[in-house]
Amino acid sequence: MAQYVANEHEAKEYLPRYRILYMLIGFTFTLFFIRLWYLQIINGAELRAFSEQNSIKETKIAAPRGIIYDRNGEILVENLPGFEVTLSPQYVGRDLETTAEAVGKALNMAPATIVQMVQRSKKLNGPFRVVKLKDNLSRDEIFNLEIIKNEYAGLDIRENVLRSYPLKADGAQLFGYVGEVSKRQLPILNEKYGEKLKLQQGDIIGKAGLEEILDLDLRGKDGISVQQVDARGRETQNGESKLLGNLTGIVQATPGNNVVLTVDKDIQDTAYRAFVGQGFIGGLVAMKSNGEVLAWVSGPSYDPNEFSTGISGSLWSKLINDPDRPLRNKVIQDHNSPGSTFKPLIATAALSEGVITPTTIVNAPGSMRFGNRVYHDHQRGGEGNITVSEAIERSSNVFFYKMGIALGIEKMFRYISNFGIGKKTGIELQGERSGLMPSPEWKKQTIGEEWQPGENLSVAIGQGFVLTTPLQMAIAYNAIANYGKVVKPFVVRKIMSPENKVITEFEPKIVKDFGDPNGEFKVKREVFDTVREAMRRVVNGTRGTARGSKLKFVEIAGKTGTSQVMSFAANDIYSTCENRPKYQRHHGWFIGYAPADNPEIAFGILAEHACHGSNAARVAKEIVQSYVAKYHPEWLTRETDKKGTKPVIQIQTPATEPEPEAEVD
Amino acid sequence: MIGSQVEGRTFLKKIDWNFAAVIVGLNIIGLINVFSATHGHNEMGGTDRLFWSQVFWLCVGWAFYFAATLIDYNLFVRLAYVIYGLNLGALVAVKFVGKTALGATRWLDFGFFSYQPSESMKVALVLILAKVMSTKSHPEGLGLRQLILPLVLIGIPFLVTAEQPDLGTAMMLGLIGISILFFLRIQRTILIVVTVIGIVCATGAWFFALHDYQKDRVYTFIDPSRDPRGKGYNSIQSKIAVGSGRVFGKGFRKGTQSQLEFLPERHTDFIYSVLSEEYGFIGSMAVVSLFAMLFLLMIGIAQKARDKAGAILVIGVLSILFWHQFINIGMVTGLLPIVGIPLPLLSYGGTNMLTIMLSLGFISSVSYRRHMF
Repeated sequence: MAQYVANEHEAKEYLPRYRILYMLIGFTFTLFFIRLWYLQIINGAELRAFSEQNSIKETKIAAPRGIIYDRNGEILVENLPGFEVTLSPQYVGRDLETTAEAVGKALNMAPATIVQMVQRSKKLNGPFRVVKLKDNLSRDEIFNLEIIKNEYAGLDIRENVLRSYPLKADGAQLFGYVGEVSKRQLPILNEKYGEKLKLQQGDIIGKAGLEEILDLDLRGKDGISVQQVDARGRETQNGESKLLGNLTGIVQATPGNNVVLTVDKDIQDTAYRAFVGQGFIGGLVAMKSNGEVLAWVSGPSYDPNEFSTGISGSLWSKLINDPDRPLRNKVIQDHNSPGSTFKPLIATAALSEGVITPTTIVNAPGSMRFGNRVYHDHQRGGEGNITVSEAIERSSNVFFYKMGIALGIEKMFRYISNFGIGKKTGIELQGERSGLMPSPEWKKQTIGEEWQPGENLSVAIGQGFVLTTPLQMAIAYNAIANYGKVVKPFVVRKIMSPENKVITEFEPKIVKDFGDPNGEFKVKREVFDTVREAMRRVVNGTRGTARGSKLKFVEIAGKTGTSQVMSFAANDIYSTCENRPKYQRHHGWFIGYAPADNPEIAFGILAEHACHGSNAARVAKEIVQSYVAKYHPEWLTRETDKKGTKPVIQIQTPATEPEPEAEVD
Repeated sequence: MIGSQVEGRTFLKKIDWNFAAVIVGLNIIGLINVFSATHGHNEMGGTDRLFWSQVFWLCVGWAFYFAATLIDYNLFVRLAYVIYGLNLGALVAVKFVGKTALGATRWLDFGFFSYQPSESMKVALVLILAKVMSTKSHPEGLGLRQLILPLVLIGIPFLVTAEQPDLGTAMMLGLIGISILFFLRIQRTILIVVTVIGIVCATGAWFFALHDYQKDRVYTFIDPSRDPRGKGYNSIQSKIAVGSGRVFGKGFRKGTQSQLEFLPERHTDFIYSVLSEEYGFIGSMAVVSLFAMLFLLMIGIAQKARDKAGAILVIGVLSILFWHQFINIGMVTGLLPIVGIPLPLLSYGGTNMLTIMLSLGFISSVSYRRHMF
C-alpha cells in the first residue's frame, strides 16, 4: 500500500504540465471549428455548386510513343498524326440517343454501338472521362463531323498520334503491335507495374513483341489538360477561385524513349521477301557472331498497322483462327525436331570425346540393325565408307546412328546442353520456348520410363524427343563457327531519351566459351575446324546437300535438315514429299553461318512444310548476299577459288536433301 | 489486501464507461462511413468484404480493449523491452519478406491478414518510453545525459520506417516520441541547440535523403496547380468535398465527390471528407468534438494515474491519437499537405484499428487502477 502512495505522489510531479495539454486540445478544436466553418458555411454554397456540376474537363494528352530505329538509324516503327472523335458523356446527358444517331450517320457507325460505348465508359470511369468514338478519321468523316459538331454538346474532334509500321507485315512478330488495354489486363498490369505506371481504361499499351516488352520505355507519360468549362462542356475562363486556387492547367505529355535495335532494315527486308514473300511458313533469324540480331522473320505475317487503328473483329478472328498462326513468333515459339541439323553438334561431341578422329572411316550402309529394330538411312544404298566430313556433307544417318551408340545419351546431353539446346536463349522477347534436350533423368521424371538404348540413335540424328527453336540452332552453329563461343542473342541495342541521349546500352554477352582454358567445359579448336570444314562442303562441295545455294563471291557454311511432321510406313518414306497434303509435309531446316572461313553472321531458318532443308538454304543465300552487298561490297567482284571441291567421281544425285529417315520395327 | 478492495466494487463499476462511450460513438460513425465510402465500388474488393472485415477487426479490437483493461498495464510496461524488440524485428523483417504496395514495403503478409509493424511500433515506443522515463524524477527538466537513451529508442524505429520508405509513419514516430519528452520537460538550453540542429538536418534531408515523390508532395503543397491531376488535385477535390457538405450534408451515400470517385483512398486516408460531404458541418464538428472529449478524458485519466509509468502511457497514447487526427483532418481540410496518415477509429484498416483499440485499452487500464485508492 505504501508503495502506491509513494507512486501517487511521484505522478503528481506532472500535474502542472497538464494545463498546456488542455490548451492544445482547445486550440485544435477551435482551429478545426474555424476551418470547417470557413469551408462549409462561408464557402459552402460555392463549393456545393462546384461539386454538383464539377465544371472541370479533363483531357488526356496522349504521349507519342518512342520511335524504333534499326542499327543504322533507319526508322522501323514511328508515329503518324491522325484525328479522332470524342464525346464527353457529362455534357450529353439525356440526349445520348439523338447524338448517337447523328454521329453514327456521320461516321457510318451503328448508333447502338455508340450508345453502348458511352454507357460502358460511364459505368467504368464515371461521366467525366471523355470517350473515344473513333480514331483515324478520314477526310470525309471529319467534314461530316465538323458540320454537326456545334449542334451536339460534348462532341469533339481532336488530333492524336497513331502508331505506324512502315515495314507493314515485315517484322510484325518482332515489333509487335499496340492497342487499348483490355478490361481483363488492366488490373493485372497495374499490379505488375505498381508505382511505375497507373494505366486507365482506354490507354494504349504495347500488346506484343518489342512494343510489349519495352512498353515502359516506349510509352512516355501522358499529359493532361484540365480546363474549366461551362454547362455545355465548352471551355471558359472564369478566372481563379480564390479558395481552390488555379484549377486549370496543362501538364504536357512526355514522349517515350526511342529504341535502337540491332536489326538491319535492308537485311530484314531481304529476309522477309525471300522467306514470307516466297510463301514460306516458319521462322528465320539472322544475327551477327556476337549475338546481335540482324533479321527476324516469322511467316505468315500480319500488318500491325491494323491494330493501331483498332482491329476489326473479323480480321482478328481471321488472324487467330489461321492454321498457319501468323501472330506467333515462330523464331522462338515453334520448336521442332532439328533433324539432320543436329549432326554437326553430335559430330563435335564424337570428335571431342575421341570416338572418331577427322580421318576415321566408318561404314555407313543403307540401314543398320540395332536391338531388334532396323534403322534406315534416307539414302536407300547408304553412303559406303565415309569420314565424319563426308557424313555431314552427305547427311548420313547410319554414320550418326553409330556415333549415338558410341557416345551414349549422357555425353550427348552434356555437349548439346552446353550449346544451349533445351534452354531459353534469354532474348528480350516474350513467350520463348525452351525446346528440349532429353536425358534419362528427364524421361524418368516426365514420362516415368527408363531410357532405351535405341533412343540414342534417334537423338543422334535430331529426332526422338529433341526439340529446338530456329534461334537456339543459330546460336549453337554460331558457337561452332566461333570455336565454342555461345552468345546471348539480343535485339535491343540502345534505349535513348526523346532527345536521343543514350539511357541504356546493351552489350554483347558470351554465355559460354568452350575455348576458355578456365572454363568447365572445353572443346579443342581442331574439333571445330573439322566440323566447320564439313559444313563448308555442305554448300560448296560437289555432293553437298545444299550445293544449290552456293555463292560465287562468299562461302556459306551450314547444314540442312528435315523434321518429320508425321511418321510414314516403311514403303512410303521414300515417296515424294511434295505430293503429300500441305500439313503432312516435312519441315525443312537450314542452319549456318558465313563466310565459312571467317564467320561474321549466323542464321537459323525453319521452313515449315517446305519438305527440304535445301529450300530453306536458298533463303540463307539471299540473306548472305544482302549482308555482303551492304557491309562488304568489295567482295561482290571476287570469286572464291577454294579447294572445296572434292576430287571424287561425281555421282548424280538430286541437289536436294534426300527424304528423312524412318524407324521401322 | 487487493482482493478485499476488488470485492468492494464490481468490475463493471470500475470501468471508465464515459471513455468507452466516446470510443463507441466514434466507432459507429466510422462504420457508417466505411460502408458509404466502399459501397458499390467493386474495384476495391467489394463493400461486403471491406465493411465486414472492418466490423470483424472492430470486434477483435474491443476484445483487446477489455483484455488490456483487466490486465495491469504495468505488466506491459515491464515487458516493454521485449515488445519493442519483437516489433523492431518485425519492422526489419518487412524489409526482406514484406509485401510491396504503392512503391513502399510496409506489410507482412499472414494470408488472411496483412500486418503493418510500423503501426504497432507506435504503441511499443510509448510503452518503452513509459518504462524508461518513469524510473527517475527530473523536476528541473531532462538534461543531455537523460535524453540519450530515449532518443536512441525513438531514433531506431524512425530510421527503419523512413527507409521503407514510409515517411508519414516515421514522422509520426518522431512526433510521438518527442511529444512525450516535451511533456517530461526538456532543459531550455538543449531545446535551443536541438532546434538549430533540427533545421540543419531538415535542410540536409531535403537535399540528400528525401525521395523525389516526397519532395513532390512538398512542392505541390506550396503550389497545388503544379499537378492539377495529382496530389494538388487530391487536396482540391477534398476541399470541394468537405465544403460542399454545407451545414447538414448531402445525406448518407449522396456525396457526389466521394461517390463519383473524385476522392482517392476515400475509405482510408480521406474518410473524413466522405463524412464531411455527407453530414456537413454538423457531422464534421461531431467527430471533432468526440475527439476533443476523448482527449480531455485522457488528460483526466493521466492526472489520476497511480504512478508515473501510467501517466506517461496515457500521454503517449494521447499523442498517438492527437497527432493522427490533427494531421489527417488538417490535410483533408487543406490546412496541411497530403500525407498518408489514417484517421484513428474511422479509417479502414485492420492493424490500425487493433493498435488503436489496444492502446485505448491501456488507458482504460490506467483508469481502472486508479480506483484502487
